[in-house]
Amino acid sequence: MRGAAEAAARIGAALGQRVVVLLIVAVAVFALLEVAKGDAVDAYLAQTGGGDAGYAETLRQSFGLAGTVPDRLFTYLGRLVRLDLGTSVAFGRPVTQVLAERLPITLILMGSALLITSVVGTILGIVASRRPGGVVDTLVITVALVLNATPGFLVALVGLLVFAVMLRWLPVGGIGTIGRAEGSPALDMVRHLVLPVSTLALTYLALYVRVTRAAMIEMAGADMVRTARAKGLGGRRLLLRHELRPALMPIVTLIGVQGSAMLGGSVVVETVFAVPGYGSLAAMAVAQRDTLLLAGVVLSGAVLVVAVNALVDILYGVIDPRVRLAGAAGRG
Amino acid sequence: MRVASLIGGGLVCLVVLVAVFASQIAPGDPAAMVARPMLPLFSPGHLFGTDQFGRDVLAGVVHGARISLLVGVAAALATLGLGTAVGLAAGFLGGFADAVAMRVTEAFQTVPTFLLALALCGVMGASLTTIVVAIAIASWPLSARLVRGEVLRLRTLEYVDAARMAGLRPLSIALTVVMPGALVPVAALFGVTVGEAILVESALSFLGLGDPNVFSWGAMVANGRTLMRTAPAVALLPGMAIAVTVLGISLLGDRFATRQRPS
Amino acid sequence: MTFALSRRTLLASTAAVALPSWLRVPAAFAQTKGGTLVVAADTEPRSLNPAIVASNGVFYVASKVVEPLAEMDYQTGLRPLLARSWDASDDGLSFTIHLREGVTWHDGEPFTAADVAFSAMEVWKPLQNLGRVVFKDLETVDTPDDHTAILRFAVPTPGQLIENALPALTSVLPKHVYADGDIAENPANLEPIGTGPFKFAEHKPGEFYRLVRNEDYWEEGKPYLDEIVYRVLPDASAKSAAIETGEIDLTAFSAVPLTDLARLEATDGVTVIPGGYEGITYDLTVEINHRNPILANVDVRKAIAHAIDRNFIVDVIFLGYARAATGLVPASAEAFYTDDVTLYDFDPAAAEALLDEAGYPRGSDGTRFSVSLRPAPWFNESRAAGDYVKQALQRVGIAVELVSADPGGHIKAVYTDHDFDLAIGTPVWRNDPAISTTVLYQGGLPPGVPFANQYGYDSAEMNELIAAGASEVDPAARVAIYADMQRLAADELPLLPLVEFTFTTVARERVQNVANNPRWATSGWADVWLDA
Repeated sequence: MRGAAEAAARIGAALGQRVVVLLIVAVAVFALLEVAKGDAVDAYLAQTGGGDAGYAETLRQSFGLAGTVPDRLFTYLGRLVRLDLGTSVAFGRPVTQVLAERLPITLILMGSALLITSVVGTILGIVASRRPGGVVDTLVITVALVLNATPGFLVALVGLLVFAVMLRWLPVGGIGTIGRAEGSPALDMVRHLVLPVSTLALTYLALYVRVTRAAMIEMAGADMVRTARAKGLGGRRLLLRHELRPALMPIVTLIGVQGSAMLGGSVVVETVFAVPGYGSLAAMAVAQRDTLLLAGVVLSGAVLVVAVNALVDILYGVIDPRVRLAGAAGRG
Repeated sequence: MRVASLIGGGLVCLVVLVAVFASQIAPGDPAAMVARPMLPLFSPGHLFGTDQFGRDVLAGVVHGARISLLVGVAAALATLGLGTAVGLAAGFLGGFADAVAMRVTEAFQTVPTFLLALALCGVMGASLTTIVVAIAIASWPLSARLVRGEVLRLRTLEYVDAARMAGLRPLSIALTVVMPGALVPVAALFGVTVGEAILVESALSFLGLGDPNVFSWGAMVANGRTLMRTAPAVALLPGMAIAVTVLGISLLGDRFATRQRPS
Repeated sequence: MTFALSRRTLLASTAAVALPSWLRVPAAFAQTKGGTLVVAADTEPRSLNPAIVASNGVFYVASKVVEPLAEMDYQTGLRPLLARSWDASDDGLSFTIHLREGVTWHDGEPFTAADVAFSAMEVWKPLQNLGRVVFKDLETVDTPDDHTAILRFAVPTPGQLIENALPALTSVLPKHVYADGDIAENPANLEPIGTGPFKFAEHKPGEFYRLVRNEDYWEEGKPYLDEIVYRVLPDASAKSAAIETGEIDLTAFSAVPLTDLARLEATDGVTVIPGGYEGITYDLTVEINHRNPILANVDVRKAIAHAIDRNFIVDVIFLGYARAATGLVPASAEAFYTDDVTLYDFDPAAAEALLDEAGYPRGSDGTRFSVSLRPAPWFNESRAAGDYVKQALQRVGIAVELVSADPGGHIKAVYTDHDFDLAIGTPVWRNDPAISTTVLYQGGLPPGVPFANQYGYDSAEMNELIAAGASEVDPAARVAIYADMQRLAADELPLLPLVEFTFTTVARERVQNVANNPRWATSGWADVWLDA
């Protein structure tokens, strides 16, 4: 009983801390956009081709951009509590609605890219670690490092040119065939996502390879592995049980870090491949000076990162039960 | 990994030399529309050809090295400076100030770096200064946490106690005794941060948020993007220049990074 | 998603007489009915209400759903749509419109004069970006019967102007949908209801818009297409690749890179069509801030005019898809255009001489003075022109610093804060000087009006000409006034016209009846069909 209450309190505290963090993000983003020169009405007029001064003032009123800065901040935070992020100027609809529409795409894109990087990166890392300094090791590391150093937009552009335009194996962009439907929609979507997902996965591969490789080499020299080897264990069993399992810890930690980095990298990749996720939405919000939408993307990006990290915490417990025990004992 | 460091060092040296002697290698303004548009590779006088406005691609690549290195180093210094200042303050002041600083650090760490840099550049307007500032504001948290951790560790050490007992004031202890020690892990971050900053700048320029008065590699790729079918070299060459530079820096910096990587 | 299901032979309506050569329309032809046309869209406008937002981005989608009273036409000038005919009174105080009978809205309600009266008084005059100027003196709209609407003006308003404004400024909204509540917040602004050949079906943000055939369209047998799908593809190269692979059928407004046009033209099944935009010609200009005392000197402005090679902009930046401009009225607007104006040849030596005489010799560093230059960020070509103008001016000793911003920041800096020395602008010609051209010369406008004279230029002579043109009811006299205006503008150079440009359409060859009117991309597409 006491354990459960403590766990609840601990979770509550962690949750509270995360809410505070997100609140700071909200205020920071709002402050940032208040400094911006030109507001959404100017962006709107640029799009529509002009009008007189009265027209601009009418728009400003209807967009809710009138009033003092503290007024607007207070209104913004007040609405935030009710999960109301305001209305997007570019879309003319509630920001939450726009974000909700794009959430599935973002989750699918990020999820598949994270999955592919972590699995492929881990496997490559293990393979490389078997013979440090060998040919395979050097090759894997070199390729990973080169990809890591190459800007995502270059990988995306080359992928687009080779696989979509020259070979015509894959579509040039979007997430589904429109007006030409044939075959299964799920398969169609997979075909559309191959290029963006692999671009993201490839550019973020290096960190996984390196961390896995380092952890595996370290583990191979660790006491318990030596003991296990002395006990006569070997081969695959030794690898999986005694080396890989502890080595998974830093790999799981990376998912949190990578999730955040990939969300940033998705801006360019989604723009090149016209994927309607958070990344292209962010670029569009900047281009159209859609204050509330940009705030919404940044804020929900932060929420996603927090959620991924919470997930990582849970995964820790699954991989290594001692974490749970240690946590409880430490508090007790 | 000694070979890697050597290769990295070689690449970095090459880029630095090109940047230093840019005006000798390709005299004149790289943005000048000097020749016939769309000259192919290996044209006489225009080794890398020209783009759709008759701008020499070689001149762009060569002069672009200056921009990338300038932005990379300036942004890394600003990032580490900001992070160090926050980390030192948090570690020394402790208590409420530390708690606030750490929450703010976490908040900034929660927002994806590039997303924040993009938003900042979008609202501050496009110039090299705003790009440097945006990168610094988006990437300082890691170094802040590192420095704070070091300060907390070093504070408990004997020589700091000794200094305190010798009557040094807290500020002087912070600056003269603890800071040098706390800076060691920050120095190790320098290379990585420069590489990151170059990539962020190129992506911002690619999205059209770069400084229009300088012809950076990212902007060249963005311009050449529409020529991918007709003249891929216009986009690929500056793109490869970015990759070579960042690769060199990461190979060179790796030794520090792996040795000093905090657990 | 259905392809050509039925075939039907139809007689072509009117025989083509003076069609441009690129327009390959046989006199009689077997049009195929049905099919889905997939076209590329750059942006997703916030509002799809063309009566409030008269802009090409909105028209591109919405003009198929919501119709104006008349459309531009190569043969007759204007082709009647919701209006059958119209006539202006001699005193310029009334403009009578006879409306088409038997037209219904997409929701089944009948279309009547009350809808026109409502649109004019409640939408065009008070809410529309362009209508606020053209319809400013509109007092009432009388509806003697269901099919007659009489616009009554407080002061003489040229019938010629109203007539020229019909295509772009008179999209008619259904009164029964808009009468209650805030017009700007009406849900029909996002899912428009009109009388047009296509009904709005759905919008999936970031992906597509879908329009479907209006089975009850007033024009017998039309439209031919079952569906139009606008696929959102913001990237120019992706559009180019998509049309090459056949993922899309058509891109309008020069949406593919100009450098790709030659290759696309040579691609099997793809055709490049340069016409169909004469009614929405753009001008590339150097906007000048006269608040800067150096630039207030007309000789300095003339020097700048001599320093810039318009042919370079035409050949290199527009790859020939443009022509050097003599003023803000494009040559294609034959009714108003005059080339009898002062011209400024490309002559850097003359530019330097003018600058020397004006008292701005080169300093020790070779520089005479420094200016900032803000290129409009919305066209590739306007940004490239910024790069070129910078170099051209530096060659005659004027140092230039480029300042770039997103569209909103640019508009605010130039048209509200006047925080610029020079800017590259792209004003649009809309069929009559009084719609969107005279505002670029008119003095005394309040700050914050975009795409208008925020240059600090205020000439009594110019203001008088503009006022005279706005109320002159005799068409010939009005044309003469605007010729004087063009001459005065060329002498005083309040801003510098560089080149005029329209756009190209790239289409799969199976798309028929493309570019067959001067506002084609922003017209109704009732006669577009797909060759099976």
